[in-house]
Amino acid sequence: MAQVVTGLAAGAAYALVAVGVVLIFKGTKALSVAQGEIGAFGYFFGLRWSARGVPGLGWHPPLFADLVIAAVVGALLGLVIEQLIMRPLVQRPPLDGLIATLGVALFLALLEKEIFGTATQFAPSPVGKWRVVVLGATLTAERIVALGLAAVVAGAIYLFFTRTKFGLAVLATTGDPTVARLLGVKVTQVYRFVWITAGALSGLAAALLGPAFGGLTPFDMTKFALRALAGAVIGGLDSVWGAIIGSLLIGVLEAVVGGQVGARGAANVAVLALVIATLVVRPQGLLGTSGAA
Amino acid sequence: MLREVPPSRAAGAAAIALVVAWSCTLSPVRLSVLVGVAATAIAALGLDILVARSGQLSLAHAAFLGVGAFTALNVGGHGGPWPLALAAAVGAGAIAATLSGLPSLRIRGLQVAITTLAFQVAAENFLFTRQDFTAANQVLERPALLDTDLRLYVFALGCVAAVLIVRRRLAVTAAGRSFLAVRDVEARAQCFGIETGRTKLLAYALSGAIVGLAGGLLALKEGSISAKDPFVLLESLQLVAIVVVGGAGSAAGILTAAVVVKGLPQFVGHISIPLTGIDLDAVRIVPIASAALLVVAVVAQPEGIGGVYRSVGRVLDRLLGRGTAGRSVPRAQPTATPGAAEQATALRGVPRGLSLEMPVRALLETREVTVQYGGVVALDAVSLEGRLGEVVGLIGANGSGKSTFVNSVSGLAPVTGAIRFRGVELVRRPPSRLSALGVARTFQDMGLVRAETVKENVLLAQTWLCNYGRLAGILALGSTVTRERELRRRADMALQLFGLDHVADERLGELPYGTMRIVEIASAVAAGPDLLLLDEASAGLGPEESHALADRFLALRNELGLTLVVIEHHVPLIARACDHVYCLESGALIAEGAPGEVIAQPAVIQSFLGRSTAASGGPAR
Repeated sequence: MAQVVTGLAAGAAYALVAVGVVLIFKGTKALSVAQGEIGAFGYFFGLRWSARGVPGLGWHPPLFADLVIAAVVGALLGLVIEQLIMRPLVQRPPLDGLIATLGVALFLALLEKEIFGTATQFAPSPVGKWRVVVLGATLTAERIVALGLAAVVAGAIYLFFTRTKFGLAVLATTGDPTVARLLGVKVTQVYRFVWITAGALSGLAAALLGPAFGGLTPFDMTKFALRALAGAVIGGLDSVWGAIIGSLLIGVLEAVVGGQVGARGAANVAVLALVIATLVVRPQGLLGTSGAA
Repeated sequence: MLREVPPSRAAGAAAIALVVAWSCTLSPVRLSVLVGVAATAIAALGLDILVARSGQLSLAHAAFLGVGAFTALNVGGHGGPWPLALAAAVGAGAIAATLSGLPSLRIRGLQVAITTLAFQVAAENFLFTRQDFTAANQVLERPALLDTDLRLYVFALGCVAAVLIVRRRLAVTAAGRSFLAVRDVEARAQCFGIETGRTKLLAYALSGAIVGLAGGLLALKEGSISAKDPFVLLESLQLVAIVVVGGAGSAAGILTAAVVVKGLPQFVGHISIPLTGIDLDAVRIVPIASAALLVVAVVAQPEGIGGVYRSVGRVLDRLLGRGTAGRSVPRAQPTATPGAAEQATALRGVPRGLSLEMPVRALLETREVTVQYGGVVALDAVSLEGRLGEVVGLIGANGSGKSTFVNSVSGLAPVTGAIRFRGVELVRRPPSRLSALGVARTFQDMGLVRAETVKENVLLAQTWLCNYGRLAGILALGSTVTRERELRRRADMALQLFGLDHVADERLGELPYGTMRIVEIASAVAAGPDLLLLDEASAGLGPEESHALADRFLALRNELGLTLVVIEHHVPLIARACDHVYCLESGALIAEGAPGEVIAQPAVIQSFLGRSTAASGGPAR
């Protein structure tokens, strides 16, 4: 039981990334595999500025600000990628978009290695050091916050899609950009919005995963992003709820299998087997529609 | 007959020969680096077969490379001779790739890419951490034949050359053509006698075998491999980068990209003085630059380095006065070429298990054919027949089930009832078997590969006549070369018969629409059918062209002795060409008979031209 709770907490952080992946897929029909690196980039900048001060200002942001900086840098990075790279690819075959984000992921990972080095980047939790015991599992502050944030994000996105005009615009764009444009939806705004939001969510996830796993190296976030991607695929690439459920599932599976067999490798293989099985048996994922297949 | 070589090709060949000759004079250390580059290049060329020909992205090719390398080490380390180790690497690569390709039988595009990603991560975390698999204590002794770096390098060059030859053979035989067909028209490719599932897996197997060879080469070079670094996800991404930056489908571009990405950093590193730290920079910067180039290539220059080469070649050819630029594409003309009768006989002369003389009343006979999609009845108990030598017309409003009928005959729709062709039951027979029985068809919206030339498309339609194994074709075994030559002659004949020989080498997608439609009919006829199903052959044609089409139908019947089932909207064409007409409404037959009678029936007019006709005296749509 304790493992399930720990797994849920890790899964919540994956879910933040996975929701970003789904938003991008819904809005632009592109599958982004660069979300992990985008988040890590934001997180590393936050860490560096906390330690050395913001260049030019000499201001040392408090630890809590790491969370904000990571989100803001992630959002900015998302905006830049959308404007420069993904916009020209909107009407191209989906594999082109995938290859482009692969390139971005590779580029950012190597760049992070250059700028920040390969050593583990560690900072104390940005949300304090308190902990809570739930059903025999000790949850640290950042894990609790991750769970809370995932719940908040889920609620916010639900309200966004059902209660706001712009949310409906995003949904319309998913169906058919040309028709959406004819209906008066500013499609480019939708593209920008999904990338910015996804970038911010990735930044938050990185800032919460970092301390939870005792620091990050540039390539760690790639691993986490792969789990988030697995969660999104299992839940259905065009379903926000599916992505959240899928990510939680991945988190639990990883914790339980990893705990039982004691080998991280086995947990990995279990996750991947689940991904492949889902794709073969139900290509659209648990809650996805045929658009995701 | 000597083919004329364009100057750009000659210049390219000379440049390659010079570079290769120069590279052989390099120091042993550099030669060793180049062997590694060759292995990467081979792996990328293998990946490219999947990307360019099959339209599938694999993110697991570094894992296949590892499977090949470790298999070779295991076999060689246990005393197996080195050729066996290499062969085992090839086989293991093929098996691993085929396994990872299995999901592609059910899913497509992005999803397949994700499963290969999963395969890569699983191999990295599971297979490559097992000491027995990675041959941790084994050493593959390099044979005396390859004991110097120069010898090994020449051997590596030989491997690259072999892969290039395989790629070339692939392009000119049934295997390569069916890859393209499955990539572009998927299910429809079955109508040419192509089995889509096996074709996809063959592409994976071939790609994996080539990557396996690269792994074997690495094993020969290293002797033992302790780190899994060359086989991790990052390397898979780098292989994708090499293919995309080099230009999918372009061997020259991919080779260049491989040399730049894998060779350059090592070379620059070795040239610089160690204390300045410059060599470190090269090793670090080039991968970042290649990632950036990958992004730029996808966004701005999808044809990559290969595209640049082609442009340079075109400029070169034009400067030297052999350009093809500015040539206009003439339209297809129906011609009565001399010897047309013999050509027709030759086209009809295909080997067939069933004889046309078999005593059946109707060539095609359907009984109570019903097709249901969910709750929708698309075809409702349709019984009709097409007699030998008839042109049978099938008319009806949009959505009345005409195309569904053609789909059910060609095996692309879930049918209940009976469909007999020359007395042979067709229901539940795989669509890929029909061309051999003598049924060919066209599609309302084209079932051909637009990116290929007209002639390649005709050859594609003749796939079922390639009586050699796909692999045998690639390896040029047995009679494949002579058979290909015969089939090319046959394709030429078909094109001549339709007056298309002057566009034989044009890309299909660049032709005028009307010509494309004729090419599709010509391709179907080249397959040597007895029954030809034409789904709205006149769609999108002008009145003049449809008129010519009616003559063509009659010519196909009279000169080639074909039986035709044509779906048509165009009333004058039906009246002119058809012997017998059936009219469908909401999936059910509502009239049949001679064209004049059927078209005159009030029920047909109402269904075909719209309900308001009687009141207003004009067509509603």
